[in-house]
Amino acid sequence: MTRNHPDHPASYRDPAGFVFRRNGHVYRRVNRVYADDYRQLMDSGLYEKLVSARLLIPHEEVTEEGGPDGPAGPGHYKTLLPLQLSVISYPCEWSPDQLRDAALLTLKVLRIAIGHGMILKDATPRNIQFLEGRAIFIDTLSFERYDPALPWIAYRQFCESFLFPLYLHHYSRQGTHRTLAAYPEGMPAGTLLPLLPFKSRLRAGVWLHVVLPGRVVTAGQAGSAGPRRQVVFDQRKLLLLVGNLEDILRGIRTEAPRAAGWSRYYSETVMSQAYVREKERLFREMIAGIDFSSALDLGANDGYFSTILAEKKARVIAVDDQWACTGTLYRATAAEGLLSPASGGHIYPLCVDIADPTPASGFAHAERSSFTERAQCDLVVALAVVHHLVLTKNIPFTLLADYLALLTRQWLIAEFVPISDEKASALVRDKPVFHKPYDAPAFEAQFASLFDIEQKQLIPGTERILYLMRKKAEAL
Amino acid sequence: MAMLLYIDPGGGSYLVQAIIAAVLGFMFYFKTLWFRIRSFFVRPKSKPPTENDKEPS
Repeated sequence: MTRNHPDHPASYRDPAGFVFRRNGHVYRRVNRVYADDYRQLMDSGLYEKLVSARLLIPHEEVTEEGGPDGPAGPGHYKTLLPLQLSVISYPCEWSPDQLRDAALLTLKVLRIAIGHGMILKDATPRNIQFLEGRAIFIDTLSFERYDPALPWIAYRQFCESFLFPLYLHHYSRQGTHRTLAAYPEGMPAGTLLPLLPFKSRLRAGVWLHVVLPGRVVTAGQAGSAGPRRQVVFDQRKLLLLVGNLEDILRGIRTEAPRAAGWSRYYSETVMSQAYVREKERLFREMIAGIDFSSALDLGANDGYFSTILAEKKARVIAVDDQWACTGTLYRATAAEGLLSPASGGHIYPLCVDIADPTPASGFAHAERSSFTERAQCDLVVALAVVHHLVLTKNIPFTLLADYLALLTRQWLIAEFVPISDEKASALVRDKPVFHKPYDAPAFEAQFASLFDIEQKQLIPGTERILYLMRKKAEAL
Repeated sequence: MAMLLYIDPGGGSYLVQAIIAAVLGFMFYFKTLWFRIRSFFVRPKSKPPTENDKEPS
């Protein structure tokens, strides 16, 4: 970095303020240009209502004297210290359920804001994060005073970044994460329409929100020389539009199809109950002897082992590259009762391919940080996943050890599945080219350069081995 | 002060919203009308008594 920028590189777009980091905390500066809107947010009761309903992230105002050494240069109005989030995720890592909940939250916040004389000036999924299993709105500066004579300025952005990826998923069942990775600013209607099947045209929602905007834009471009056309609008019309968007979102299919590859690997597949029971016993013994407050579960599947980690009061990032797995786990964690509040642990399900994790992206690669930067934890768990990475993705043991040492701050629990195992041999039946030797001694030799192997346990009844490793001091 | 638009509402987005709102308003009006007509001709079904409807013994 050539200059000492005070603001966070992700927050340069909005002139109302910016986010900055000081002493390990994230702050939000409010600019004077936003002062009237900020006062309306705080004085109208809107902030109180949203925060008490756990829809908006709470903050406290900090004074420059007593607060951080923040940038209080020209145009400064307030400095806010929001509730600090320990896990940051991006829409290209969410399951369709998560994106839909984020969309419904945006509309709910919009409805409440309208009742307090305010409106959302933008509608991007990046205004949402997940906190303890629930979506929460994090952009305190998204609210502006509402003029009922005007339509919603963020309508197109809402459609392109929430509704269109979900429409595509509804018909293709491919998840929304890849769509939003390819179109981080949202998918234009003209791009979506040819990808939808013809039967989609029978839906009024598709016709109104996808086909119609395409026609109007085309007509507008033909006569674009004239002044912007004034339209007649009011609050009742806006609420009709919001209600229609809510109805459409609730009708989008987000659940997994029955034949979803690895979904329910632990609960329903051919893996024997005895294997799971023995593995769980060894796993519980291993984690009982170590200290950790955060864990990263790679290839989490339905979250069977993530739940065990969360019982230890840990914050668990549960990663799988199958959207159906992430969605199933998200629904379970979002439903009350899976984890009692007393347990203190929380699961953050994310749809990420470990062989191709989310890169740093956006302007100057600095708007959104990489998965690796955000996912570092005290403990990394790689159960029944190493053989996929080595045999299917051809990642050598040495590179895998390097990457896992980057992700973990201290502990690693990894399962080695030998080539003789039914699941491993199935992977190479039609794909004989992979890095050899693929066996336990080669695995141990490569990992031992970065980790101390503290425990090595054969899972009874199988040839699979469970390892507990500690990162070497020199690898820290 | 001119209103500061930090995102582009999109070409024709305001017009699109006006058309959609008009269509939805039209549909809402006819739905309401249809329910009124139906309720005039169709007698509402009497609900079977539930546990809560019983007189306390």
